[in-house]
Amino acid sequence: MDTMTLLVVDDEERFLITTQKLLEKKGYQVLTALSGSEAMVQLNNHIVHVVILDVKMPGKDGNIILKEIKHQFPLVEVIMLTGHATVESAIDGLKSGATDYLTKPIDMDELIQKAEEAFEKRKRVEEKIRKAESTRS
Amino acid sequence: MKPTQENKSNDQYGSLRRMLLINMLVIPFVPFLLVVISGGYFFYTSIENNTIATMKRIVGDHRQFIEFFLDERKSDLTWVLNTYSVDQLSQSEQLQKIIRALHEKSVAFADLGFFDEAGIHLAYWGPYQLSGKIYSDAFWFKEVIKKGWYISDVFLGFRNEPHFIIAVSKNDGKKKWVLRATIDSHVFTDLVERVRIGKTGEAYILNKEGYFQTEQRSGGLLMTHDPEHEKNPDYHTGIETFIQKDQQGSEYLYATTWLKSNDWLLVVRQEKSDAFKSLHMATLFSLGISALSGMLIIPMAFYLAGRIIRRMEKMDAAQSLLEQQLIGASRLAELGEMAAGFAHEINNPLQIMKSEKALIDMVLTDLVKDNPLKDSDEIHTLFDSLSQIQLQINRCAKITQSILKFGRQGEPAPQQITLQQFIPEITAMVEKRAEVEGIRIKKEIHAKTPQIYADPSQLQQVLLNLYNNAIDAILEKKSPDGGQLSILVRPDKERNVEISVIDTGVGISPENLEKLFTPFFTTKPVGKGTGLGLAVCYGIVQSMGGKLTAISQQGIGTTFTLKLPTQISTKRE
Repeated sequence: MDTMTLLVVDDEERFLITTQKLLEKKGYQVLTALSGSEAMVQLNNHIVHVVILDVKMPGKDGNIILKEIKHQFPLVEVIMLTGHATVESAIDGLKSGATDYLTKPIDMDELIQKAEEAFEKRKRVEEKIRKAESTRS
Repeated sequence: MKPTQENKSNDQYGSLRRMLLINMLVIPFVPFLLVVISGGYFFYTSIENNTIATMKRIVGDHRQFIEFFLDERKSDLTWVLNTYSVDQLSQSEQLQKIIRALHEKSVAFADLGFFDEAGIHLAYWGPYQLSGKIYSDAFWFKEVIKKGWYISDVFLGFRNEPHFIIAVSKNDGKKKWVLRATIDSHVFTDLVERVRIGKTGEAYILNKEGYFQTEQRSGGLLMTHDPEHEKNPDYHTGIETFIQKDQQGSEYLYATTWLKSNDWLLVVRQEKSDAFKSLHMATLFSLGISALSGMLIIPMAFYLAGRIIRRMEKMDAAQSLLEQQLIGASRLAELGEMAAGFAHEINNPLQIMKSEKALIDMVLTDLVKDNPLKDSDEIHTLFDSLSQIQLQINRCAKITQSILKFGRQGEPAPQQITLQQFIPEITAMVEKRAEVEGIRIKKEIHAKTPQIYADPSQLQQVLLNLYNNAIDAILEKKSPDGGQLSILVRPDKERNVEISVIDTGVGISPENLEKLFTPFFTTKPVGKGTGLGLAVCYGIVQSMGGKLTAISQQGIGTTFTLKLPTQISTKRE
């Protein structure tokens, strides 16, 4: 639980590879997915704390993937990645339950900071759930 | 392409102008000519009829007058014959007395003679020695015995002087007596000639054979034959009028009538041009009016056609300008869309480059830390190079973000803004920078400035952009007194608010002023400006329903004027 597991979803493979390396160097567990469906597979097979999701991808739109993720894995925190042109869709994302959004091109430090914040939030939620469960039992 | 188009439109205007001219000339002229011609025709016939009627009236009146004169003379003689006894009339002295008495009524009597049945001249009073002459064979004598009265044609007789006679006879039961008087032809001529019509009007009498019984004013002498007589109508009752050419070729209007008392034809004639003088005048008048209206209509048509064409040219020019502006605006929008797409695509490689750089940075730092690589000058050069890459990527990112901002304006959230508060707040944001650079800031906000309805963040963006440009321009001038940035806010007459941002900077050249609001146009050094700032401002102000204009003088400064509506703008995207 102490190590954050991140899932980065983007259609740019090289971005995934580099980001994975960078984040792993920082000590995080990193999973990658090139598409929405791959992301769902990864989420089914691994425990993921935070998802970094590109809004604009070929095939399924980021916002639809977000809804699917939030539907199936409500605890997973999602950070939307957007170009400036799609700030509106990022706002839509926030309304659909995304934790935060980042504007491309992102700074790695910024990404890590937001991811940490999201992770903290996740931890707080899990803590509350645990407390609630213990009082019930 | 353009010159041919221009020629084409010039041709178009030319043919349009011709069409207009033809219409403007023909349309008024046709009814005008119809009016002139028909009016002229009716006028003409009316005058003609009128002239002829006048002529007829004159000839009728004159006939009555002449007949009356002859009847009078005849009854004078009858009266004398019935009043005086044969003895009295047989005395010349008595005749003299009678003639004197008659002269009181008319001086036409030249002499008086008294005859018996046998034609013997019993008594005579007059200028000639005629007493004792026998007239039993004379034509007139036979006629008077037969008819009781007789008026002769003009003849010379024994006295060789043109005259005519009136004779009456009396039957006292046993014998017939005859009283004869000579009428002075000159007196009679004067009487007949008395008719005066126009300049050439004249009246004269012809006998059955066409000899002048009175002198003709235009030349016919007494007892000579009238060469025109052949053309006169035969005996007729009433009055006849006709137009006839004389031997010299001049046309005359004739009116003729036969006298009752004897076979004399009274002719009244007048030169046609004289008789129809008013017709001539009317024709001249009509022609004059036609010419005058032509003189009015033609220049007027030219003037109006010219004016209409000029007006149309102006309107067309304005129209095409508007079209060009629309095309410009839509091009700008297309360009914005394209740029936005482009910027978005560029963002992905930039993202990768940024990540790669971060990775290199991290790996290199680790290598130095873990000692496989020695911390050396070369390593520092690499780090420097990496930070340069970071810098350049950020620069690219800034450009793409500006483009995206320009391409897709967010939905504005307009609200009422009180400029008296708002302007100082915005100005405060640049006050620090201005103070550091030694630039004075002057604010003048008119107390009666109304609220405006706009998106505050958009207005802030516009104003900050203008302020920063102004400060840059002032700094570029490097004026020793530092320079001044003035902000003037005041209401204008059309219920707009006018915000002027005035600097004392370097100014903008006229050719640059034209391109000022064009996207990607910048005079700033590479890397300092994207060339989108003012284009974005312009777009924002337009969407607010306002206007952004600039005037500048090189070396003196620039004024940007922002006109914003106070009422809620309907022009929103």
